Amino acid sequence: MALVGDNGAGKSTLMKILAGADVSDAGAISLDGREVAVNSPLDASALGIRIVFQDLALCENLDVSANLFLGNEPVVSGWARMLPRPLRPLDEFEMERQALKAIDKLQVRTLSSVRSNVSVLSGGQRQAIAIARAVREDSTLVLLDEPTAALGVAQTRQVLDVVKRLRDTGQAVVYVSHNLGDVFEVSDRITVLRHGRNVAVLEREKTDPDEVVVWITGGQRDKSVAN
Amino acid sequence: MRTEAESGVRARLHALRETRFGSFIPVLLALAAIWIYFGATEPAFLSPRNFYFLFMQSAVVGTLAVGVTVVLLIGDIDLSVAAASGVCAALMAVLIANFGIASPIACLAAIALGVGLSSAQGLLVAFVGIPSFVVTLAGLLGFQGLMLKILGIQGALNMRDPLVRGLTTFTLPPAAGWAAAAACTAAFGYIAFRRHRKRQALELELDPVYASVGKVAFFALLVFSSVGVLNAYRGVPLVVVILLGLTALLAWITTSTPFGRALFAVGGNSESARRVGISVKGVRVSAFAIVGLMAAIGGIVGASRYASVSFNAFAGGPLLLEAIGAAVIGGTSLFGGRGSVWNALLGALVIGSLGNGLDLSGASAADKLMVSGAILLIAVSIDAASRANVGRPAD
Repeated sequence: MALVGDNGAGKSTLMKILAGADVSDAGAISLDGREVAVNSPLDASALGIRIVFQDLALCENLDVSANLFLGNEPVVSGWARMLPRPLRPLDEFEMERQALKAIDKLQVRTLSSVRSNVSVLSGGQRQAIAIARAVREDSTLVLLDEPTAALGVAQTRQVLDVVKRLRDTGQAVVYVSHNLGDVFEVSDRITVLRHGRNVAVLEREKTDPDEVVVWITGGQRDKSVAN
Repeated sequence: MRTEAESGVRARLHALRETRFGSFIPVLLALAAIWIYFGATEPAFLSPRNFYFLFMQSAVVGTLAVGVTVVLLIGDIDLSVAAASGVCAALMAVLIANFGIASPIACLAAIALGVGLSSAQGLLVAFVGIPSFVVTLAGLLGFQGLMLKILGIQGALNMRDPLVRGLTTFTLPPAAGWAAAAACTAAFGYIAFRRHRKRQALELELDPVYASVGKVAFFALLVFSSVGVLNAYRGVPLVVVILLGLTALLAWITTSTPFGRALFAVGGNSESARRVGISVKGVRVSAFAIVGLMAAIGGIVGASRYASVSFNAFAGGPLLLEAIGAAVIGGTSLFGGRGSVWNALLGALVIGSLGNGLDLSGASAADKLMVSGAILLIAVSIDAASRANVGRPAD
């Protein structure tokens, strides 16, 4: 699903509420038809809601597999159970294996090694890594906040491909963007916000960019056609 | 064609620099250059006896530098490390000399004090949000005063306790030194071999075999030649074994545990670390606790080595700047997120070698200070330059 709207329409605020970074004053959040409470980022992550921040929140000094598991590293079992979890040995082989799997799933072909530092990756590759980090076994919803805003043409292509692949795996994705071209390419449903209100939910198949623009700007399509 | 080959070599060198092993190369080259220079100008420099004293002299700086590296990794700094180590040494000396407390208990008390003082600074940095530079600058002044207070009016205490003195006077018998070298090499080789096998079995990307074999061979060369040189004089000092053991433990913690990852993550991008659920404050306090631990151990080692605890040997002398300098010369970034505790030991050897060599050549105190300053400046320049390179994306 794509979330569109003009500047100040409330897209980012809605994202923050879903991610638990802000708490809503009113209204309810339902996940899979069940009403849930999201009062903190911890609640959100416990529910499987993952957000890819605009600034990606990657650590450039660490490699790809370290970034994918940051804060959630697999550790070896066995004798290490005696140690407190932060001091148990990392299972680096498992990390790399899962990292390769995650990267393969999104087909980030240009990535040469999961052991290269994030600092040497391109913007598109970084975005893909950040998306791959958000997609875990237990992810129910992945929020992408303007993932292509800072990217060039080729890298935007790469990220859109990643999002489409993600959609094709059946992963629920909320995609926030200004760019209607991108939105029409990756989304099934388009929700339009204006002045903090949900003004339209459109099926991509049954709409066109003009209609979405009309909803965003609050103009009236019929009138503009008549003129 | 030629440029392609050149850039291939450069890329490979760059890739090598990025590995854990490759980060040793600049500091090893610096060490080699210093040893070759003084070896050529001062015949006494390369004698086993001098190397023995070089290792001993570098032990205190090395211990502190290893601790400082841990706080540098998270992008903080500890200016109070030498003063804290002086306070711990003073406490231990007073407990032993004036209160007649058994030395192991006095050592434990010193370690507890070090961890406590440093953790308190860590709490101020993490929870009150004061920059570590300011907190530890206050700590530096306060601990200097505290040390003077503990030592009393004389300003120095002799350390005659045989156990504490034994730390730096006891050396392993030559056979034990060789056995330890063989055991370390075998363990290193076995770990490298098992790693290779496991990667093969899991079909992960493999390091070239020659690189792994070269690493093991280089390690063996380093260990056996060090033991050989030390055995040619008195044997491997116990303090060197302890320091290497502690450093190995911290190296493992910083590179191979979730806590270590968190250290690097906080140093690299603390906001990202917070968002992925790392307790940034907890990591900060723990890092300061570690530097406090190392400061206390450095204090005990220093008291043992100088056979006394005096204000000038710890808080009032160049120890602080040497410890931070050693960490930075070792290639640990002042900006956080990059570095290694092993490199801190090599950095301490660089500083120790410089001091030792300049002493042998009869350089004045003024020359020594200026040369040390120049070396530190070069190291920090390399750090800043490599940081400027790192931010550049590939395409």
